[in-house]
Amino acid sequence: MNSLRVLYQMMRADFLERARRNSFLFTLGFAALMAYEASTGGIVLQLGGYRGVYNSAWIGGMMTLVSTSFLTLAGFYIVKNSVQRDETTRVGRVLATTPMSKPFYATAKTLSNFAVLAAMLAVLAAGGIALELLRGRQGQFAIGQLLAPFVWVGLPAMAVVAALAVLFEMLPVLRSGAGNVIYFFLWGGILGSGISSPRFDDLMGLNLIGQDMMHALKQVAPGYKGSFSLTIAGMHSPTKTFIWNGVDWTSGVILHRLIWVALAAVLTLLAALAFHRFDPAREPRRKKSDKPALSGMEGQAGGFASLPATAVKLTAPVASASGEGLARMVAAEFVLMLKGQRWWWLAGTVGMIAASLLVPNEPVREGFTLAAWLWPVLLWAQMGAREARHNTESLIFSARRSLYRQLPAVWMAGVLVALAVGAGMGVHLLLRGDWRELPAWVAGIVFVPALALVFGVWSGTSKPFEVLYTIWWYVGPLHHMRGLDFTGMAPAANSAWYYLLATAALLAACYLGRRRKMGYA
Amino acid sequence: MKLELENVGKRYGGKLWALRNFSLAIGPGVLGLLGPNGAGKTTLMNVVATITRASEGCVKWNGTDVRRRPDALRSLLGYLPQDFGVYPHLNAVEFLEYLAAVKGLDAASSRRRIQELLVLLNLADVRKRPLGQYSGGMRQRVGIAQALLNDPQLLIVDEPTAGLDPEERVRFRNLLAELSGDRIVILSTHIVSDVEATATDIVLIHQGALVAHAAPEELLAKAEGKVWECVVPSAALEATKKSYTISGTIRRSDGIHVRLVAEADSAPAAARPAAPTLEDAYLYHLACLRAGRAA
Repeated sequence: MNSLRVLYQMMRADFLERARRNSFLFTLGFAALMAYEASTGGIVLQLGGYRGVYNSAWIGGMMTLVSTSFLTLAGFYIVKNSVQRDETTRVGRVLATTPMSKPFYATAKTLSNFAVLAAMLAVLAAGGIALELLRGRQGQFAIGQLLAPFVWVGLPAMAVVAALAVLFEMLPVLRSGAGNVIYFFLWGGILGSGISSPRFDDLMGLNLIGQDMMHALKQVAPGYKGSFSLTIAGMHSPTKTFIWNGVDWTSGVILHRLIWVALAAVLTLLAALAFHRFDPAREPRRKKSDKPALSGMEGQAGGFASLPATAVKLTAPVASASGEGLARMVAAEFVLMLKGQRWWWLAGTVGMIAASLLVPNEPVREGFTLAAWLWPVLLWAQMGAREARHNTESLIFSARRSLYRQLPAVWMAGVLVALAVGAGMGVHLLLRGDWRELPAWVAGIVFVPALALVFGVWSGTSKPFEVLYTIWWYVGPLHHMRGLDFTGMAPAANSAWYYLLATAALLAACYLGRRRKMGYA
Repeated sequence: MKLELENVGKRYGGKLWALRNFSLAIGPGVLGLLGPNGAGKTTLMNVVATITRASEGCVKWNGTDVRRRPDALRSLLGYLPQDFGVYPHLNAVEFLEYLAAVKGLDAASSRRRIQELLVLLNLADVRKRPLGQYSGGMRQRVGIAQALLNDPQLLIVDEPTAGLDPEERVRFRNLLAELSGDRIVILSTHIVSDVEATATDIVLIHQGALVAHAAPEELLAKAEGKVWECVVPSAALEATKKSYTISGTIRRSDGIHVRLVAEADSAPAAARPAAPTLEDAYLYHLACLRAGRAA
């Protein structure tokens, strides 16, 4: 009983800490926006040209699929910070000195994550009820039918996401920005397998609810070919309707859904195994080769008390010429971006440059070129956020003209990184004399660092860019979606001017964001 | 060289005034800022260091309004914040070169100065080690080095001896005293002995307001006849603490030797007068403020 109380208190404190931040309102706002989009046709669930009649079952099923499809992605990034918060606030070190066990800590974090995700799910469920009351009432209002998919599909999916977020935070590589990128592809895999897997084995309930809807439609529309889609801003709104009375929630179906809760428990225990109890010797940034921290009197470096007091005679500093100063600043920011990169990252960069320049096979070379656009994502993501992350803001912001020199230098260093990693493609286009694709490539080179910088400056963290850029890269360049392909590789892409203008706007936003933060210009 | 603050106020969140009607004019020398936690010392330094803009009033550097032209001060400013970070993958030289570039210093002269500062602060032997491996004291010395990079005319140091061992603290005091000859140094600390050793002027802050600006000797003079020493049995210590402002206790074989601050008419009967230290004077002023009477 006492253990349960401790667990509850830990979960409660963590949840309240999040819920009392302004960002929590944005989180709920995001959920409300999704509910609004689903209710106004911004997000459309359709089967061929059909949609269900707006009864309780259809609204519940549709809203649940919207929730599980999008919250399993966005929700993960929203909750994947609770262990990190304990580290940065140093609360973790206090917790580490208590009798709290590792499974206890991991469980409390999973439950706290789950509470946040469940709150978002509740907003969507409330949106579903509002939709039925305002727009539906086509049939009897059955609250049980409306909420059952939220409970049996939504909550187990959120439990898995909550546990995955804790597991990612506990594992050395996955806790970093690389984990954010990897999760996106994991989510894509889960989504894909959910659509194609047997009836009960999909986390998001796409197969469970979707198959049931399809079965009901086939009964009344023999011509229906079996298509099923959940799309944002559906271009072709369905015109025909059919009646779907919901999934038959038998004990077998419910048991299958509870398997996901069991999986969440297993993931939480795995996270507990990896939990290092905030041991500074196992802090994530420390490399194996790093030596322990030096004390002031250790090694060859004594405290400066050991030096005899001498008159202070130092070289008088000289202000640098403005052009030279900016060049130095860009070089310093470039070095800073690359510092701490492992050898394999640098080797991969060289490999990508060589491959995108030398590989004769066009599709293979294109693959390397595309990869080169994603490869530096973690470097770019640090731009504008590094000062907040390392608490150097007061040192940099109190320097003369830092707004006009350091900030542009960060962007230029990001452009240099883009140029370096994408050099293979650039040289290839130059050699080919491709004057149509080259401007688009240049526009992409200046656009992406500006996008990274604006996210860093305004959010103070690297996560938003890591997530948004990965999704954008997946949708735009990888799938050659016109307008969203900033690489210039999309057939008939003619978006160079568009991206150059966007770059100018983003840089202006960076300036405003930093100026606002500094208090002074 | 003159720094003036005219009716400076800083408000957070629309309601809470961390600083109010703060006026001060200072010239070269070391100004010690003393005040209890939350008095507004760090806010004051953030305002002067152009980290945050004052909600009202103005800060003038040699007659120029810093609100309008912050860069006029920034190029001459060295700032060591109470809580600052470093880039853990850079070594000391790289980090200082980076900040020299941010401060707009020329490469050749700043490179020489960095080497000299590293020697001065005894970091030369570890200059190639990543800062992530530095101890708290070493990191603090890197902070001191960055504050001195541009040979500042105004040096602001907030709790500079935090993390330094006693010897390092003494050395830093000496360094500060040597540096103060032809520049303004603003030193904020909870360690009164640091201020005692270096400050030519002292400012007392309480609840965001300036309550005293005087030379150390003047503050000491006001506490003259207000400091007492007596011996009390262990059992009576708690009662003594409740009745008086205690500035120190030492346990001896005959009981506990207590040093306390009190007006002559309320001091314990057996107490002997003692010569005040700056710490006694500070406690006396705080006690007067809390009691709502003038020191």
